Amino acid sequence: MDLSLTSIRSKGKQLNMSAEMFHKLSAFLTLMILIIVFAFGNAAFLSVNNGLTVLLQTSVIGLLGIGMTLVIITGGIDLSVGSVLALSGTVTGMLVKSGMPVVPAMLIGVLVGAACGLFNGFVITKMKITPFVATLGMMLIARGVALQLTGAAPISRLGEAFGVLGNGALFRVVEQGANGFPRVVFPGIPYPAILLVIVALAGGYLLRRRRLGRHIYATGSNEEAARLAGVEVDRTKITAYALSGALAGLAGIVLMSRLVTAQPNEGVMYELDAIAAAVVGGASLMGGVGNISGTMLGAFIIGVLRNGLNMAGVSAFIQQIIIGFVVILAVYIDQLRNRK
Amino acid sequence: MSSPPSGQTPLVELVDIEKHFGGVRAVNGVSADLYPGEVVGVLGHNGAGKSCLMRILSGAMMPSHGQIRVRGEDAHIASPHDARDLGIETIYQTLALADHLDAPSNLFLGRELRTKFGNLDDKRMLEEARKVLHTLNPNFTNLTDPVSSLSGGQRQVIAIARAIYFDVKILIMDEPTAALGPSETAMVADLIRKLKAQGIGIFLVSHDMHDVFELCDRIMVMNKGRNVGSHPIEEVSKDDVLSLIIKGGLPDNWVPRNREVAQ
Ligand SMILES: Nc1ncnc2c1ncn2[C@@H]1O[C@H](COP(=O)(O)OP(=O)(O)OP(=O)(O)O)[C@@H](O)[C@H]1O
Ligand SMILES: [Mg+2]
Repeated sequence: MDLSLTSIRSKGKQLNMSAEMFHKLSAFLTLMILIIVFAFGNAAFLSVNNGLTVLLQTSVIGLLGIGMTLVIITGGIDLSVGSVLALSGTVTGMLVKSGMPVVPAMLIGVLVGAACGLFNGFVITKMKITPFVATLGMMLIARGVALQLTGAAPISRLGEAFGVLGNGALFRVVEQGANGFPRVVFPGIPYPAILLVIVALAGGYLLRRRRLGRHIYATGSNEEAARLAGVEVDRTKITAYALSGALAGLAGIVLMSRLVTAQPNEGVMYELDAIAAAVVGGASLMGGVGNISGTMLGAFIIGVLRNGLNMAGVSAFIQQIIIGFVVILAVYIDQLRNRK
Repeated sequence: MSSPPSGQTPLVELVDIEKHFGGVRAVNGVSADLYPGEVVGVLGHNGAGKSCLMRILSGAMMPSHGQIRVRGEDAHIASPHDARDLGIETIYQTLALADHLDAPSNLFLGRELRTKFGNLDDKRMLEEARKVLHTLNPNFTNLTDPVSSLSGGQRQVIAIARAIYFDVKILIMDEPTAALGPSETAMVADLIRKLKAQGIGIFLVSHDMHDVFELCDRIMVMNKGRNVGSHPIEEVSKDDVLSLIIKGGLPDNWVPRNREVAQ
């Protein structure tokens, strides 16, 4: 009797496990299929240089996606990340232009992002405005401030130091070729990729091992139950939005550093890529479900998709159409999952 | 006889509590008390205001008016946290579980056990949860499944375990056996007797007349937001209680049951 019970339980557990694993596996297979298809379409797709480009693109989507995942698990959404990215990047650029050293200027940029997120959190929890509307407002506010501050003009010639974060790489090996030109022996690991790995590990640790992470899941799963259990629901949500804002700021700095130009028009509609990454990775817009490793897979899928379409010469318009369908499909799959 | 021991300070005194929702008076000038080791049954028709009154004591709802005293001292209960700090634990009628989390996470939600580095101590929480859940239901094995996949009774057991695991002094049980089978219900009855013997005061909201007469020392009946009668259980019969619930008053020519016998 007892034996049969435990065996049923372990079987059920295996099934449960495979449900989550199944999702991860199918996301992984999708990624592989995309890579194979694009590689057949264009041999250059698999080149080291293009690999680095994908990695850089993905690191921006990934940073945004990690913040988005935290917010989505609480049952919310953050539509402002694309604009906050632009605002943080331009503020950093302006500070550097005015003579501030790069590192403190970048820190302030991240803080600007965090402040935008804090504002979102307060509007949502204290004024009881739905996340959709609150962050839609912030989307306009942050973009407007970025454009106003710069007069809509990009800030360029920010100096070599500003470009290091976006363009530098760890363990890069360059040797002097016989013809006098430098030859790249090993391209190194780009700093943005390293940053993404660190943030992803930290995010995973936060969600799995820390009390705040547990409270983020509980809040999204059943807000009232969490409140009755003594969880500070408002504080939990505000923290999630602030982290999303800070990561948007960080992504903005990476992106602008990559361009060595502060672009107030950068990052339009990036929020959709971030949402797509989280949802494709298994986060549920109903809240309570999601994890960082899934979002990383999702970010790579979106990054590879965008890059591959670019390489294949698909126009930006068609790309939008395709990504639009991907988002709808991902949310539809999410709903199918929740229905059973 | 078992009427509240005078002289002793009550664990809880609710004084003139009111709760309005717009024009609706869900709780209307209700006063009540609870002594250590006492089980007070809270009865009333659906929508009488029982859950509202209990939620006010557990910090889930702010009263529009009224006072709460705990162990003789004025208590300001503005959140579930405040209530817990006073030793008030609640089993909510709605159970209030986070569906995507497993049983141990729910049991310790808001009071997670942590390692010395501040990380969640999931291993210890699982062990502790296993212990306390097994005392309530030996068949409880699927501890690591999300609670959404559990049966109504199993969910109820988690809600009960959560209330008794910590240092409870005042226990509010809002229809705790609604989803339970007969053997689990008997288990909860045993549990109530055990907690009572430890000097814990219990408010038991129930529609089950049998349970009420089995377990309660006193009853209070609510009708349309008012407290229409507080009586030691020996004083009333089931018919008297039904009359209080339905009419909001005792039958005409009512005589206390225990004295009636003496006549
Ligand atoms: N959050 C709320 N907002 C508005 N009205 C409410 C709210 N909560 C309760 N009420 C109203 O207060 C009254 C009392 O409700 P309450 O839940 O206390 O009843 P109850 O005695 O527990 O009933 P039951 O036996 O069905 O559990 C009802 O008329 C209900 O509609
Ligand atoms: Mg009720």
